[in-house]
Amino acid sequence: MTHDAVTCKRLILEYLVEYEDGSMPEAERARFEAHLHHCPPCVVFLKSYQATGRTLRMLKPRDIPKNLADAVVGFVRARCPKKE
Amino acid sequence: MAVHEDQDASDLELVRRIKRGDEQGFREMVDRYNARVYSLAYGVLRNSEDAEEATQDAFLTLYRKIDTFDESKKFFSWFYRVALNAAYSRARRRKPGVTVSLDDYLPRFGDDGHAASPEFAAFIEGAEDEAIARDLAERAEQFIAELPETYRDAIWMVDVEEMKPADVAEVLEISLAALKSRLHRARLYVRQRLQEVSVAAAPAPETRVAP
Repeated sequence: MTHDAVTCKRLILEYLVEYEDGSMPEAERARFEAHLHHCPPCVVFLKSYQATGRTLRMLKPRDIPKNLADAVVGFVRARCPKKE
Repeated sequence: MAVHEDQDASDLELVRRIKRGDEQGFREMVDRYNARVYSLAYGVLRNSEDAEEATQDAFLTLYRKIDTFDESKKFFSWFYRVALNAAYSRARRRKPGVTVSLDDYLPRFGDDGHAASPEFAAFIEGAEDEAIARDLAERAEQFIAELPETYRDAIWMVDVEEMKPADVAEVLEISLAALKSRLHRARLYVRQRLQEVSVAAAPAPETRVAP
């Protein structure tokens, strides 16, 4: 498998998402990894794509306001009569 | 999968109790979903007060419209759509933000399809340092807010909320392939912006100042 079998453009724009979520078929995965083996810029790109995912996961968990559930129930009760 | 099915069955039981007018059933539904709805709304509104109000709106709609819920469908995908609508309804009352053209932030390639220039590694190294990573996460939140709605929902639900792509596709009523495409474009945008701010923040090479 040569470096040119997959271009950086196709790898990054078409294949990366399925490579990352594990849904890429085995044969394609092998081609993808063969390209990575010969292409340091794509390895760096892949690492930065993965670092993006790690960074985004840091946004969770958020601070949920205290007593949010009570506030929601109170809000709905004030606007809706009890159902029969 | 079993967990999912149990959740669906348990949601459905609560839905039926609420339809019968069981107030305790509604309370249990609020306890089960309020944090998730809040977090989803926060992704759209990026403001805790607005997110709290959108959460209240979403549960009010749930309470009023529960009779219209088709029990052959999954409850969470119906209710997440309700929650997104509540959040976007609030967002529309505010001054519209700036959205970007994603094409401007795609990686560059040479005519042969190979990488046009080597990537800097500043961002990857930064993301491994706890303090810098927190700072990057705050920036990433801003970058997500700049995305068009359809991309923002995809990346927020999958990468921040860590929902399964198939579930998100169901909530957004699009195919899994379309969801992945939006998710990927959104990630490429956020990655590129994080890369830019990291390069800008990286220490410049030592230079000598002429006397």
